[in-house]
Amino acid sequence: MFFKYLIVFAQAHHEFRIPELQSVAKIHGFDISLPEGEIETDRPFMIVGLQSENHARQLAAIYEFYAQGSTYEEVHVQNRANQALWSRYKLNTSFKFFVTAFNHKLPQTQQRQVVESFSYTDFMGKIDMKNPDIVLGCFEEYVEKKGMIRDRHDDHGQFRQVYLGRWIEELGSARVLIKTFDVKKRNYFGNTSMESEVSLLMANQTLASPGKLIYDPFLGTETMAYPAAYFGAQVLGSDIDGRQMQGKGSDRAPDLILYNYTGHLLTFDITHNPWRCGGLFDAIVTDPPYGVRASAKRLGRKKDSVPKGWRCISNIEAILAHDSPYIPPTKPYELSNLAV
Amino acid sequence: MVRLITHNLLACHAKGCTSNNFPLAFSNVQIEIREAEFNPEFLKNFIPKVEWNALVDTARQLGDTSLPLEQPEMLDEEFLKSLHHVLLEIHVEEGVMTCPNCKHEYPISNGIPNMLLAEHEIG
Ligand SMILES: C[S@@+](CC[C@H](N)C(=O)[O-])C[C@H]1O[C@@H](n2cnc3c(N)ncnc32)[C@H](O)[C@@H]1O
Ligand SMILES: [Zn+2]
Repeated sequence: MFFKYLIVFAQAHHEFRIPELQSVAKIHGFDISLPEGEIETDRPFMIVGLQSENHARQLAAIYEFYAQGSTYEEVHVQNRANQALWSRYKLNTSFKFFVTAFNHKLPQTQQRQVVESFSYTDFMGKIDMKNPDIVLGCFEEYVEKKGMIRDRHDDHGQFRQVYLGRWIEELGSARVLIKTFDVKKRNYFGNTSMESEVSLLMANQTLASPGKLIYDPFLGTETMAYPAAYFGAQVLGSDIDGRQMQGKGSDRAPDLILYNYTGHLLTFDITHNPWRCGGLFDAIVTDPPYGVRASAKRLGRKKDSVPKGWRCISNIEAILAHDSPYIPPTKPYELSNLAV
Repeated sequence: MVRLITHNLLACHAKGCTSNNFPLAFSNVQIEIREAEFNPEFLKNFIPKVEWNALVDTARQLGDTSLPLEQPEMLDEEFLKSLHHVLLEIHVEEGVMTCPNCKHEYPISNGIPNMLLAEHEIG
C-alpha cells in the first residue's frame, strides 16, 4: 500500500529529478509510485507514493502529504478529511508551522494569516521554532513571472497550487552530501572540475555502491570519481594527460583522506585503450572533453566512426551520450546529454 | 597505483598485437603494501570478471602465494581476505610491464602506468 508524500525539489538540474528518485529507490530497494501521465519535471513539487516513512527518509526535502488545492478552501477541506494523519499530534507535540512561496515573495503578515487559517486543527502543543517535535510546511506555488510586471501587492494568493505536509527528516541522500563534495573546498582542482552537484547526481545514477566497479575514462582532476568512491564503489580512472591525476603533489593528500578515495589511475588515450574484453565495468561515470575549456586530444590520424578501442567497454550501462558509445571529442554538448 | 585488480584488466594494445598479449609481465618492480577496506561484496561481484590464472601467476611473481591455483567454489572468509589483499593492497609503484607477445614495455612511474602508445604503434 502506498502513502502519499510531497517532494520539494531543489531548483537546479530538474532533468535529474526523476532519474535520481528512481536511483535512490533502487539502491535502497523500495518502490516509488510516480504521478500518472506526463510529469512536469520543472515544477518544484511532486506527490509520490511510498510504502513507508522509512523509505521517505532516504529522500531529501520530503513531507507527509496532507492536502493540496488551488485555493485555501480546497486545502482546508482536504486537510480536514485527512485528519487521521495529523490528529495524533494535537496533544503534547511541539511544532513549527511555516509558509513559503515559490516564485513569489510572501510578506510576514500574509504568512501569519495563512497560519491562522489552520487554527481549526487545534494543535495544543507549544510552538517551538528552534527544536520542534514536528514541522508543518505550507507551500504556495506561483507561476514564474519572467518578464512580467505585476503589482507586487496584488497577487498574494494567486498561486497555481498550494501544498501542505509534515516534514520528514532525511537520513542521508545525495543532496545532503553535496556540501561535503563542494569542489571549492577541495585543496586541488583543475579548470575542468565539474559542479559537485552534477557529479553526485551522476554517481547516484550509476547506483554507485559497495560492490560496484566504476570507470571514468576522462578522469581529469577526479571530480567525478570522488562521489562514486564516497558511496563505496571501487573507482578506476584514466586520462590521456597524466599530470592532472597527480594533482599538485602532497596538496592532494587531505582530499584523498576526506573522500576515502583510492582510485586506480592510468595514462592512455581512450580511443586506443588497453582494456581486455569481458564486461569489466559496472558503469562509466564521466565528464568527457568539451568545448574550449578542455579540448579533446587524440593520438593518431582522424578516423571516422566508432574507434575500435571502445568495443570492449561500450556494452555497459554507460553514463554517456544517448545511443553512441563514443562522443566525438570536438562536439560541444549539454550536461544533460551525459545521462543515460 | 597499479594494483593487481587493474593489472588483471589490461592487455597489450600495440599495433597488430592481438593474441597472447595478456597478462603483461612485471619486472624491476618496487612494491608497497597499503591497507584497504575489506569489502566482500565487491570481491564477490568482481570474481566472475577475474582471469584467474593470470592473477595467481602474477601474485606469485610478486611473492604472494596465498591464492589457490584453482579458483575455489566456496568463498570463505579466509579466501576472500587473501583475494582482497592480492587485488587491492599490493601496489606496484615503479617498474615495467612487458607484453608477452610483442615485448612492448609499459613503464610505471609514481604508481601511474603509462599505457600511451606512440603514433607508429597504434593499430
Ligand atoms: C572535461 S575533462 C574531465 C574533467 C574531470 N571530471 C575533472 O574532474 O577534471 C576531460 C578530460 O579528458 C581528457 N582527455 C581528452 N581527450 C582524451 C582522450 N582521447 N583519452 C583520454 N583522455 C582524454 C583531458 O585530459 C581531460 O582531463
Ligand atoms: Zn604486445
